[in-house]
Amino acid sequence: MKEVGYKFDVIVVGAGPAGSAAAYTLAKKGFKVLLVERGRVPGSKNVFGGRVYADPVGEVFDGLDGAPIHRWVTRERISLVSGGEMSSFEFRGSKRTSFTTYLTELAGWMARKVEEAGGVVLTEITVDGLVVEGGRVTGIRVGDERLTSDVVIDAEGINRLLLERAGLVPKLSVRHTGLGVKEVIKLQRDRLEDLFGLEGDEGMAWLMLGDVTDGLPGGAFLYTNRDSVSLGLVIALGDAVKEVGRHVSRYVEALRLHPLLRRYLRDGRIMEYSAHLVPEYTWPDLPHLLYTDGLLVAGDAAGLLLNLGYNFRGVDFAAYSGYLAARAVERAHEMGGMTSENLAIYRDLLEESFVLRQLRKFRRAPRMRENRRLYGAYPGLVNAIMDQLFNSPYETPKVMEALRRAREGRIGWLEMVRDLLEMVRSV
Amino acid sequence: MMKPMRVDDILNNNVWDVDYEPHIRVDSSKCRECDEKPCLLLCPAQCYTLAGEEVLFSYEGCVECGTCRLVCPNDAVTWNYPVSGRGIHFRFS
Amino acid sequence: MLRIVVGIKWVPNTTSVNIDPKTGTLIREGIPSVVNPHDLEAVEMALRLRDEYGGRVTAITMSPPSARAGLEHVLGMGVDDAVLVSDRAFAGADTLATSYVLAKVIERLGYDLIVFGQETIDSSTAHVGAQVASWLDIPYVYYVTHARLEGGRLIVRRSLENVRETYELELPALISVAMHTLHPRRVRLSHKLRAKLESPIETWTNRELGLEPDCIGLKGSPTALSKIEMIPKVPRKNEIFRGDPREAAKWLVDKLIEEGLLEV
Repeated sequence: MKEVGYKFDVIVVGAGPAGSAAAYTLAKKGFKVLLVERGRVPGSKNVFGGRVYADPVGEVFDGLDGAPIHRWVTRERISLVSGGEMSSFEFRGSKRTSFTTYLTELAGWMARKVEEAGGVVLTEITVDGLVVEGGRVTGIRVGDERLTSDVVIDAEGINRLLLERAGLVPKLSVRHTGLGVKEVIKLQRDRLEDLFGLEGDEGMAWLMLGDVTDGLPGGAFLYTNRDSVSLGLVIALGDAVKEVGRHVSRYVEALRLHPLLRRYLRDGRIMEYSAHLVPEYTWPDLPHLLYTDGLLVAGDAAGLLLNLGYNFRGVDFAAYSGYLAARAVERAHEMGGMTSENLAIYRDLLEESFVLRQLRKFRRAPRMRENRRLYGAYPGLVNAIMDQLFNSPYETPKVMEALRRAREGRIGWLEMVRDLLEMVRSV
Repeated sequence: MMKPMRVDDILNNNVWDVDYEPHIRVDSSKCRECDEKPCLLLCPAQCYTLAGEEVLFSYEGCVECGTCRLVCPNDAVTWNYPVSGRGIHFRFS
Repeated sequence: MLRIVVGIKWVPNTTSVNIDPKTGTLIREGIPSVVNPHDLEAVEMALRLRDEYGGRVTAITMSPPSARAGLEHVLGMGVDDAVLVSDRAFAGADTLATSYVLAKVIERLGYDLIVFGQETIDSSTAHVGAQVASWLDIPYVYYVTHARLEGGRLIVRRSLENVRETYELELPALISVAMHTLHPRRVRLSHKLRAKLESPIETWTNRELGLEPDCIGLKGSPTALSKIEMIPKVPRKNEIFRGDPREAAKWLVDKLIEEGLLEV
């Protein structure tokens, strides 16, 4: 291997939210930073659902001043879908907590911030491996060349090939992974605002649970962007491997053609079709690799994403973990080097931050999501109750009466109580 | 928009700069012995298709999600990313 | 020491351009640009010659400043330096005005060999190579698949439909590389770093070149495009025959005859 004749303090792999957050934070502090990205431009390989929580990202990136924000989510809708019927719960607020965008744009903006801060952003470079010497990560390998640095921050994403090749983590398992597939569908801006009841830069996040995933654990989503919607779903890959009944693109197509959704999309045109894996680890049962000698891991590569079924938080978790990785490097530098002992501060910083506090708090959520009744029995139950309450031509039943009738053949009382308890404990 | 669309026609809206060498290699001898073939339904870009008994693989329309690598029960998939900035170029995702 | 100049063009990635089903027009929104893929083959041939015989490869392009990313790509492949020829005065150029400016740039750089791609994916004229050779009054061979140096002469091979020709060229000369003959090499980390950190890209405007306004840009472009017609996409019938390969072949032939695509 040929040693490349440049030297950096820090090499960051991957110009996604985690990598750019790390590189930006370190470049601002005067570290010599190289951010390596395999895409033609930063962002060109990035995919997410559609929503970003602003504050954690703003904390890292100057209050998101100048960021490509499409719409602020002021309208949250959760729907239970079964057999062409849908019961929805909707919250309309006025706070600006999360926004919609294209991650391709947002990641591009973040990488430009890195360059402005003096970091070197190198695109079109696919890293082939980590250089490990005597148990210590000393750099990266690209083809027959290697580049050395004091520390490597691995933000390579969910397909953590570098960590696996270095033997630092086992192969990613379908049991801890979800598959997200989505279409971005162009709509006229004013038409979109009329259809979804939005004004100005207001936006909507719409989560759907039920037979939209064919009973597989997961959920569907629709986010309104500036002049498009992101329509898609996430399914648990471990279950899908055994039970998937049709091509996965057909699930998204079924959403697009769904009798209750197609009215929104009639005049649309598909702009892009994308897919991405989602970490669905349970914390702290599963060992996440966060650091070792000369290495820190951030974002999806470390499994740092919160999936509650009714809400996903990936971009802010990734960006914030990248930011904390940068702070860990700074501290380790002060302590005298990038040893495992010094870098362990990264874990402490994560534990103190919302990232691991949230993942710990919701550690039971992944197990709850495995409960199939959430996708079959309960949406059916709720819709059957609603149907009786509103569609009884002469005699409207009492609520408990409607529940009892709707419950029959669907689910037992005991199961319901148990599920309710589990739900309360999990989320 | 109101009619079903073929996966190919949906994918046609994407932009690729296709790499010269396949970034994914599939050991088709292992596919012959595979009963489940989850790749056929789970690869979102339908890069895996069945021709008779054979699994055909094409890398050109790959969206680089990594699903096939994980779902293959026989580890028949050697998975890499394209090089030199080639492969899928997302713009609106 | 070969002094090689290679021309590249930064073009919209038209392999991916889609048609709006409603309006029938091209959807250009968000189409990213790439180095014309056939030019990457020219770069590859130039680099192989340099690696074999020594010398220097300079990439040139005439384009708005966004083409810098394309020059960085070929610098990443190993090109030694690059010139971005960029000036509003050059805008609106047809192939004649373009080749004139490029010829002047190349003259200024000095050259033994000029390498172009066969054509571009966005306009497919294949004019510029031939025109540059004419401006410079040097030999020009196109559809080149192989090139080597022997006794100070360039031996090039080109493959036509049923013949293979070998030429001996006096240098300086211009060749254009037949498309789909070479695999462009991978972008290297060290080269890409050098492209970023040591700024081997110079920008030349007409201030440096001082070309007569009548010969450049829109004014120097006699070509007028009168009409573009879109060829409508033929809808796919999506018929699939399943079963015996022999019967399948027969079925296919019958279908093609039925559609009037095959005569018997």
